[in-house]
Amino acid sequence: MKLLNNTFDTIRLFARFTKLNLKITLEYKLDRTLTFFAIFCRESVNVLVIYFILKKFISIKGWEMNEMLFLYSFLFLSYSLFVAFFTGIREFDSVIYSGEFDRLLIRPVGLLTQIICARMDHCAFLGHGAVGLILFIKTSTSVGIQWTPTNILYYIVTLVGAAIIQASLFMLSSCFNFWAIRTTNLRNMIFFNSRRFAGYPISFYPALIQNLLIYVTPFAFVSYFPAQYFLRKPELSLFWDGFLYMTPIVGVAMFALVYMLWKNGLKHYSSSGTSMY
Amino acid sequence: MAFIKSENLVKEYKINVKKKGLLGAINSLLIPEYKIKKAVDNISFSIEKGEMVGFIGPNGAGKSTTVKMLTGILVPSSGEISIGGLSPYKNRKAVASKIGVVFGQRTQLWWDLPVIDTFDLLKFIYKIPDKEYKKNLDMFSELLEIHKFMNQPVRQLSLGQRMRADIAASMLHNPEMVFFDEPTIGLDVVAKERIREFIKYINAEKGTTMLFTTHDMQDIEKTCNRMIIIDNGTIIYDGSIHEIKHRFGNYRIVEVEFQKEYKNLSFAGVKLINSDGNRKKFKVDQTLMQVTNLINELTQKYEVQDITIQEPEIEQIIRDIYQGGICLDKNVC
Amino acid sequence: MIRMYVEIAKKVFQNNIVYRLDYFAGLINALIVILVNISIWKAIYEEEEVLGGIQFRYVITYLILGVLLQTIFMMDEYLIEGKVNSGLVSMDLLKPMNFKAYILSHNIGVLMFRLIMQFTPALIVSMFAFGLLPPFSLLYMFYFIVSVVLGYLVLYNLNFIIWMTSFWFYKTFSLVTIKDAAVTILSGALIPIWFLPEKLVNFIELTPFGSIYYIPISIYLGQVPPNDIILSLIKQAFWIVTLFLLGHILWKSAAKKLVVQGG
Repeated sequence: MKLLNNTFDTIRLFARFTKLNLKITLEYKLDRTLTFFAIFCRESVNVLVIYFILKKFISIKGWEMNEMLFLYSFLFLSYSLFVAFFTGIREFDSVIYSGEFDRLLIRPVGLLTQIICARMDHCAFLGHGAVGLILFIKTSTSVGIQWTPTNILYYIVTLVGAAIIQASLFMLSSCFNFWAIRTTNLRNMIFFNSRRFAGYPISFYPALIQNLLIYVTPFAFVSYFPAQYFLRKPELSLFWDGFLYMTPIVGVAMFALVYMLWKNGLKHYSSSGTSMY
Repeated sequence: MAFIKSENLVKEYKINVKKKGLLGAINSLLIPEYKIKKAVDNISFSIEKGEMVGFIGPNGAGKSTTVKMLTGILVPSSGEISIGGLSPYKNRKAVASKIGVVFGQRTQLWWDLPVIDTFDLLKFIYKIPDKEYKKNLDMFSELLEIHKFMNQPVRQLSLGQRMRADIAASMLHNPEMVFFDEPTIGLDVVAKERIREFIKYINAEKGTTMLFTTHDMQDIEKTCNRMIIIDNGTIIYDGSIHEIKHRFGNYRIVEVEFQKEYKNLSFAGVKLINSDGNRKKFKVDQTLMQVTNLINELTQKYEVQDITIQEPEIEQIIRDIYQGGICLDKNVC
Repeated sequence: MIRMYVEIAKKVFQNNIVYRLDYFAGLINALIVILVNISIWKAIYEEEEVLGGIQFRYVITYLILGVLLQTIFMMDEYLIEGKVNSGLVSMDLLKPMNFKAYILSHNIGVLMFRLIMQFTPALIVSMFAFGLLPPFSLLYMFYFIVSVVLGYLVLYNLNFIIWMTSFWFYKTFSLVTIKDAAVTILSGALIPIWFLPEKLVNFIELTPFGSIYYIPISIYLGQVPPNDIILSLIKQAFWIVTLFLLGHILWKSAAKKLVVQGG
């Protein structure tokens, strides 16, 4: 009962923060609309490259236009979902270095709850979301998917898992901030390059990169395996079948591990602070 | 019963010793060498419920570290803290709802939103009951005149308005204890005065315990009756402001303008501290020489145009203490 | 007079040494983009040598050059915005220097740093690891370098127009980003223009975009007949002059606005 109450409180708090964040976005309507449009354009570039290539060559290694775009839609929709809840983690270095984190420590609410609630990048949420949604609508009915209840459930759970995988990667980098180590550039490099790879079927790549995308920065579970669950391209025989169902498990396991490290970092932070005085 | 109790509080930092040059940089990367620095060294004090205490010291004396430990942001290396019977770092959330913190240099208000939006959010975060929230809001609005700018975005407020709103924000949940970190920094005299009045009023009305860290001695002199001075991580003075003035301010500055220039002026217990032609400035130690006696002597023996007498300012006394001009510990001197 | 601008470029070059880790990250990014692109085109060509009349090695060389040029064509997009928002621009106007020449020399300082820190190492890796073809001939190599300089100036003057808008808008992030997206797709930096739909190519012919990456790379590959090379270079020069004039008009009215409103 208490747990239920706490969950309910957290949701209400999140709603409260969301309302205020929305109010700020509306305050700068024109600027934010332009920013949204800019992100939409920027993200569309890679989709257009795929579009033009496949318009010319019809298929690559048996992958057709709609199948390829369906795979890509996972990247956008899961990133959009991630931004909706984890903008604070994405910008954690500024939360620490601006001293905002000390303020969070003197409030009677859980730290992660506050960080998740505090910030929201609507432009990225909508920008990525819009590209993802367009791709999904265009492809979900044309690549031969039966939207049975099982499949719908799989889709939702997997999308959430994919968002958690990305959240874990960002949170891993934010852990280092507790030791006053800045990793933002390194993180962006690793994250966005992995994401770049994941825009295409991993079967296109040498084995080394495939393994990196499965075992190190598991972006294969964000786009390739979820897409393969629905598409079942014959090349699937290259990989273990179980991978198709692993996305939520990988997400939760990663998050649990990173959360432990985060707790450790927090302990270190509270014994050293960011500066001496 | 004491509301805050701090016993043998110690905070040590490990500092990475950086070596010079490229080889040194590689060396300290591979074999890091640490130096232990005690930012807070065995501090004990207790503060009663409803007390107002000034907590001062030069930069780097350990003030912020102590306050961070008291508020639960930092964990002490050793020693005990209890705030209303709870340990701030073991019961972070429980202590958090009992305390309020005002950072003069860092606002907790939402920059792009009206003040009232932050207040409403805080009501939610601290789970303040409707009635209590409304009562406090009305009271603060009236005393700090927040209603005049309640619906303006914070970025449009003046520093004084912003600070008033920030103070109100930190007190909406009726904290038993409020920490003020430089609450009047950058404000003009009128704005400062208004904030001090408010703080005093709340203390009298609600019995809120308050601790100030500030560089503005006026803040402390006008609001607090007790002062803790900390230097090099240890408490060097803990007592009333009245006493410090009495003990260390027992001198007067006498400025005399003579008709002509006198040389070799000397009186018992009087130090010439400044000489500019006909103008001389003396420091009179009142335990050795009464100011009235000095004036008598001066007017009888010399041709005097004008005399002014100054009481020492608390700022000056504190500056003397920091600079080692006054030694507080009689056993050492 | 020129000396001063050389000094500015040198200073910027030195200041950038502080960010050498960021440049290293940029180098890794460039190599990964090349790797991803090669993987995709390998998948497209499968085992074929030639597809649609175009050799695989040509496509690879095109893609590598596209990425390499992108690394050095990256400019300090928010320099003017920062100066306008902080009010420093009025101070710059009081100094005895040409503001536009100052901005150019700043960017040339950045360019030089990228040339050494990103372009050259990425070029070496590409030659040995990714099979970058050498230029068509020594003469074409010379034309290629001329064309790259012109391509840089086309993009610079296009960017300058966008930067100028910061005198009217507080933030230029969205315009800069939209411009970047347009350049990436339409200039043939990510995908060879010859693979784009014909209608789009016809449109690109009418715009300055083709003059940025496509013309230099085509010259490098020897795909421009000797008689047409001068014409291509003139086309680039035409866009430089046109965009420069547009930027100049904007600059004049911005300066006027600055004088009237006092920053």
